[in-house]
Amino acid sequence: MIEVKNISKKFGRKKVLDGLSFQANKGEITCLIGINGSGKTTTLKAIMALTPISEGQILIDESPISKSSYEKVTFIPDTITMLPNMTIKESMMFMRDFYTNWNADRASQLLSFFKLDENTRISELSKGNAAKINLLLGLSIDVDYVLMDEPFSGIDMFSREQIADVFNSHLIEDRGVIITTHEIGDIEHLIDKAVLLENGKVLKEFNTEEIRMQEGKSVVDVMREVFLR
Amino acid sequence: MNVTFNNRDPVYLQVVRYFKEQIATGSIIAGQEVPSRREIAASLKINPNTAQRAYKEMEEQGLIYTERNHPSRITTDQKILNSVREELILQAIDTFLESVKPINVPVDELLALVKEKYVANIEE
Repeated sequence: MIEVKNISKKFGRKKVLDGLSFQANKGEITCLIGINGSGKTTTLKAIMALTPISEGQILIDESPISKSSYEKVTFIPDTITMLPNMTIKESMMFMRDFYTNWNADRASQLLSFFKLDENTRISELSKGNAAKINLLLGLSIDVDYVLMDEPFSGIDMFSREQIADVFNSHLIEDRGVIITTHEIGDIEHLIDKAVLLENGKVLKEFNTEEIRMQEGKSVVDVMREVFLR
Repeated sequence: MNVTFNNRDPVYLQVVRYFKEQIATGSIIAGQEVPSRREIAASLKINPNTAQRAYKEMEEQGLIYTERNHPSRITTDQKILNSVREELILQAIDTFLESVKPINVPVDELLALVKEKYVANIEE
């Protein structure tokens, strides 16, 4: 379990995280939802210890984050970080050399799942296909938790569907996943838990099936209530 | 498989209903093996936890059973299978009654109309 407890952070005088708390369980997909500037990406970076926080605590399986957290968690940024002239194959070899917990088997399964050719250069990929390769590279590292920044943003509908299919498949296994999004749209059914953020605060945290069961509301219904109050 | 889920009812209950419809229409039969939780998650495009919960619910309702180290199967208990059919029929009638009630049709007229339409519909 990833526990984010009351974390705060300032950029200059602006509070980007303001006493933010939530939990993400292993084996579940937790979605941080909020408009741009609500603190989603900063929260993911804080969990990865890529940005210092001024207050609060983050625990991963009950231990405070440290260097050894990298054996448990990986972060997939919103754009691919490989050099444009590398091929997909070279990118995968680069990752294999860099990470001891690289899972070559899963990488090739994902590649065939996405039906992509490993000899394609990164620069030749469409936005949607670049997003798929970005996801492939991150998901092929064997860790318990995966943090993904906007995996569904700015890509075509069919690529979105294919990426969503990965989340529903055995390729995600029993990992804990945290994704961020500013529009929930067609991924409502995908997520176990929604965390609604605004101005660095959590306005509401809920289990999506519970809210449908108890209140007969969709995630979007709850978002309307909370954000447009 | 193409199933559209609505966003306001628990997805796992919609999955249970999907299986009940398959049973009632005879698309799946008594004792038939059902896909694994992972397979059903992938083919219905739902979260694997939701698939797990749907299967647990179906086990509790006696619709499927699982023997150790074997895939789950549809029950062979005829009483349960018949009750599924009955449940779906009654639900459909409830929905129909709810929409026809405000019109205040005498029951004989309504039944005659239903009969006429239903027979014509089947013959088409």
